[in-house]
Amino acid sequence: MSMDIEVLEDSRHHRYVLNMGPQHPSTHGVLRVLLELEGEYAMELLPVLGYGHRCHEKIAEFKPAKSFMPNTARMDYLGALIYNQGFAQLLEKAAGIEVPERVEYIRVMASELNRIQSHLLWYGAYLLDLGAFTPIMYAFDDREHILDILEDVTGSRLTYCYFRVGGVSKDIDDKFVTSTRAFIDRLRSRFPMYEDLVNGNVILQKRLIDVGELTPHICARYGITGPMLRGTGVAYDLRRAEPYSIYSEFDFEIPTETKGDCMASFLVRFREMEQSLRIIEQALDRLPEGPIMAAKVPKKLKIPAGDYNSSVEAPRGELSYYLVSDGSDVPYRLKVRTPSYSNLSVVPEMCQGMLLSDVVSAMGSLDLVIPEIDR
Amino acid sequence: MDINKVKKQWQELSTAVEDIDYAVSGYDYSVCLERDKVRDFAAMMLDEGFYLVDLMAVHVTPAIEVVYQFAHFETRCRVMARAFVDDQVEISTISDIYQGANWHERETRDFHGVVFVGHPYLEPLILAEEDVDLKPLLKEEAKLQDVDAVRRQPPEPAPEPKAKPEPKPEAKPEAVKSQEQS
Amino acid sequence: MEIFYSILPELIRIVVCAVCGAVIVFGNALVMGYAERKLAGHIMLRPGPMEVGPHGIYQLVVDGLKLMGKQLVVPAKADPLLFRFAPLLAFAPVFVPLLVIPFSSKLQGFDLDIGLLVILALASINLLAVLIGGWSSNNKYSLFGAFRAVSQNVAYEIPMLLSLLSIIFMTNTFSLKAVVAAQSPVWFIVIQPLAFLIYLVSIVAETNRAPFDLPEAESELTAGFHTEYSGMSFSLFVLGEYANMFIVSSVATVFFLGGSSGIPLPYFEYSGIIWFMLKVYTLMFFLVWIRWTYPRTRFDQLMNFCWKYLIPFALVNLLITVVMVKLL
Repeated sequence: MSMDIEVLEDSRHHRYVLNMGPQHPSTHGVLRVLLELEGEYAMELLPVLGYGHRCHEKIAEFKPAKSFMPNTARMDYLGALIYNQGFAQLLEKAAGIEVPERVEYIRVMASELNRIQSHLLWYGAYLLDLGAFTPIMYAFDDREHILDILEDVTGSRLTYCYFRVGGVSKDIDDKFVTSTRAFIDRLRSRFPMYEDLVNGNVILQKRLIDVGELTPHICARYGITGPMLRGTGVAYDLRRAEPYSIYSEFDFEIPTETKGDCMASFLVRFREMEQSLRIIEQALDRLPEGPIMAAKVPKKLKIPAGDYNSSVEAPRGELSYYLVSDGSDVPYRLKVRTPSYSNLSVVPEMCQGMLLSDVVSAMGSLDLVIPEIDR
Repeated sequence: MDINKVKKQWQELSTAVEDIDYAVSGYDYSVCLERDKVRDFAAMMLDEGFYLVDLMAVHVTPAIEVVYQFAHFETRCRVMARAFVDDQVEISTISDIYQGANWHERETRDFHGVVFVGHPYLEPLILAEEDVDLKPLLKEEAKLQDVDAVRRQPPEPAPEPKAKPEPKPEAKPEAVKSQEQS
Repeated sequence: MEIFYSILPELIRIVVCAVCGAVIVFGNALVMGYAERKLAGHIMLRPGPMEVGPHGIYQLVVDGLKLMGKQLVVPAKADPLLFRFAPLLAFAPVFVPLLVIPFSSKLQGFDLDIGLLVILALASINLLAVLIGGWSSNNKYSLFGAFRAVSQNVAYEIPMLLSLLSIIFMTNTFSLKAVVAAQSPVWFIVIQPLAFLIYLVSIVAETNRAPFDLPEAESELTAGFHTEYSGMSFSLFVLGEYANMFIVSSVATVFFLGGSSGIPLPYFEYSGIIWFMLKVYTLMFFLVWIRWTYPRTRFDQLMNFCWKYLIPFALVNLLITVVMVKLL
């Protein structure tokens, strides 16, 4: 009898391991999480990465830096243009290439459209995680318009390789302008519906409020950036903090919440779509004429020796490219700091002691893109 | 955050603090550290409210260089801190100070074989478990550069003088050829 | 021989009723399968199945054939006997409750004095099937689904019973026909709106449908208790679910919505079934509608909702009913 009590007291005997993933509906890709459960409470979590590792950093060391551009899109398939932007900017900085003004406007518009479609997909997929089936179809309905617009100018629908060092591959036309304006009106008219249908729902609020709370200090320790950080009340957005491209010319707000829970990052992402629309609108109004390629971009782009960093605000947080060059056109070392990687690393701390359902909603609020983590 | 105060602290902990042109390099300060000061430096950065952007390694001679990137939520202050590993390819971990470094260190262990002393769980993260000795990002002898060759060069001298280390005959002619072409 | 002739009409009646029950079960599954997909489609701004036949009307037939043709995979470490037995157990008992449901004043298999008890007793067997299915699959997700199903169904049976009990106190009978007859001037939904509401919430949980579909919550448990089931054994679970939906909606119709009563039609003793079905399918439409609208609740919230709100309210409602019945 006393023996039995001892066994019962050793709480690890109550625990068992649930292997969530790599094929699981709510891990959004090939992420595997080992959960040590006690009843339905997750006591320990161990994310296992690397199922989608494609050696991007190794590839970068074997070919001219300019031709690495398509690879950037394959890291984050939802923020491909923003990844393009970061890399193009890195090489332009390093090689001292002046980018024409029109190019910057085109890049900003395309990036922001890309950001909205990423957020829309997250919105649908997250609610699918929470068991609401319908919103994903509404979100995809809107997202489809962005894909159509971007397909017309870039030629692809998901893994764009539209930006070039010194410019963009193709100029935008009147059709882009009119359809983007139509899309802005459309999405604006849909926001009230999303708020009525989803954001105000009691079940959703009960699922999200007080789940997975973060503080700015936790964010600093883990390097969490993006909407999750802004959900804790820190208005840190690289478009404002380290204004790249021409973001300093636009009037937009950085939505923040204070609580740091899943609901906070949910609302931050939702409001960011509106701010992105504002940026696009202003860019459309001021769009200048001009060339779409810098005058002098050498065929063989030599990067002067030294190290270069380029940070941009990706949909999920801070994306940094760090390039070490030995003076040739092939990077000596290229390191990509992807936001989801750091954001995911908080999961073992954030989700400890949570219900299994809350683990799903907390991980969904990270807006994970697994290929970005595995690279 | 008071940048002058922070800079003073850096100077105490490091061998060199360098101001970098943000417009060209994309970061503000470069700090060279002794490897035994890394933990102190990280603790100091956390106190000042910096967050860990990234942690990576660059394979150069004489030793692998570990680069820590920090930035600040309130002001623009992007810092690259560098330290060389010792001849056992070891450096102390900062994963108990910056928990986010945990995975970055495991990844660096995967790719470069840098051992972070004191790391709680230094198992392969990105690579498979059996690839623990693969170290794919280590350079081959021919491509390995000296640390000075990947540092920012003063603008005046032409690229020729920097080609001082002889033991890489393949890399040299290629570089010369490419210059002739362009 | 005398005895045989005396029970022959009863035998024929049993056979006819069983056949009708089977027709209702399969017909209902076809209608609901199609309706659910179409409704879900239209709620989601898409047309739903469109390819097979006009507006995809034969889709379910084709799906049924496909499911029948599929291999029944039994996982290597599953308990093969229980694994195969569970879908049958989920499906088989759903015929019996149909025998006591009064579709119209004349269309009823047997008017038993304990009609309601038969329905409730047999409806609970479905839970056992879920538990056996989840347990025998030898899959952690399935086991989770089974555990959730048991605690959820056991909990939600209480408010469901209590809300029906307040009607029983008013009618003093378990016979469904008598309950329908007792609603001749006014339906019980008017007298007992709270009981109806509680019953409605409970049946969503009882039939394991969203927002209370925790036993099969696919974003958490992949597919819950039927993760390992394929082909026909999976579709038996689905058939069972739709049949259960039909049964609980029928009970709601009988107890709250006046059964087959409505605007009189010719041959009302038989044609009352039109009203009955209309009410049942309105309720089922409601179930489908909320399924495709709301996100899923969390398990502790679901249980708290039951124990802290539904059961106390149902008890208070019952108490008030008893007092009123005594006074009047």
